[in-house]
Amino acid sequence: METSQLIHELAGRTQPVRRLASPWQRSAIWFAISVLYALAVILVQPLAFKQWQLETRFVIEQTATIATAVTAAIAAFWSVVPGSDRRWVLLPAAPLAVWLAMLGKACVGDWLQLGWAGLALGTDWDCVWLAAIVGFVPAAAIVIMLRRGAPMVPRTSLALAAVAVAAFANFAIRLHHPGGIGITILAWHFGMVALLACIAALVARHVLKWPRVQGVMRG
Amino acid sequence: MADSAETARLAKLMRAAQDGDSAAYAQLLTEITPVLRRTVQRQRWFAQPADVEDVVQDILVSLHAVRATYDPNRPFLPWLLAIARNRMVDALRRSGRRAVNEVSVAEYPETSFEERANTSEGVYGDPEALRRAIGELPPGQRRAIELLKLQELSLKEASAKSGMSVGALKVAVHRGMIALRKALSSGS
Repeated sequence: METSQLIHELAGRTQPVRRLASPWQRSAIWFAISVLYALAVILVQPLAFKQWQLETRFVIEQTATIATAVTAAIAAFWSVVPGSDRRWVLLPAAPLAVWLAMLGKACVGDWLQLGWAGLALGTDWDCVWLAAIVGFVPAAAIVIMLRRGAPMVPRTSLALAAVAVAAFANFAIRLHHPGGIGITILAWHFGMVALLACIAALVARHVLKWPRVQGVMRG
Repeated sequence: MADSAETARLAKLMRAAQDGDSAAYAQLLTEITPVLRRTVQRQRWFAQPADVEDVVQDILVSLHAVRATYDPNRPFLPWLLAIARNRMVDALRRSGRRAVNEVSVAEYPETSFEERANTSEGVYGDPEALRRAIGELPPGQRRAIELLKLQELSLKEASAKSGMSVGALKVAVHRGMIALRKALSSGS
């Protein structure tokens, strides 16, 4: 097909399109959906409020976790806008580092308090199960929303989305299980974030593809 | 093209296109096509004019598919060129994959002149003899040939359909092919 003919075909099928909202607005929408869904889950399975001890360490850790979720979502939404500044992908780096540092600090604290027994790695399947439930709708929502954008860097976009969802789920399950051994939380909770990000990056090219234009034959 | 008035004009056309104005869209696409062509040619990755045109068309179709992502408050050209760069890299990746899987030959052997190109035509040219030879195969080999060679199923699909294991299918089709070759060459 001649390029002029292609232009004629594309122009012929133009219809008004709903412009994509800004990444800030889209992040806010995603966060609102995620919070509403998490609240619904919590209503079904009420939190163990009595166990909460508002220690500074826990508050900082939770603040960093939710900040990681929000900044990773913002970065993911910027990454599907052509021509946007690539430095946006670094946005979640700082809260992620604080979160990791807090988990590391908890491990050191356990080690100082309990010796090597404090670094014995336990299993935490309950949290994985709960994270899967809490993360399901936020994951579906962010993937659907990202697919409306342009897959400029699909691996990065989906890895950031996975970090956002996993951090959000971590925030919710840490409200549910505020205690725990540092090394177990580090390995299972943070490990889950890393694992999900890697899996997301691997499958990204199948999930975020350039949309086909129906009926346009080229070549 | 780079001056701000021109850029603002393109942004205005794009805004109109997003609102469904097909004339503005046609004008925009027509005006940006030479820019895209030059951008693709400048990279020197695509030597053939047909390849350049293919990439330009790919960019135009991609632009159309994601036109909702353009924010009228932002400059148009960086948005367009980001899409162009992305599609060029993808096209390069595709052509790299093709180059690995394709073999270039200076001259294709012609079936009617090159004797070695006529092997299958000459030896297996009689469909009735082939049908008879397949019919005379043991049932397992016959089934494997039918599924894998005639119906062109994958090993997995053939295994699911026949109930034979993938390993058994491989052995059966291998033996079947040897038997067919022998039967047809002795018959010719």
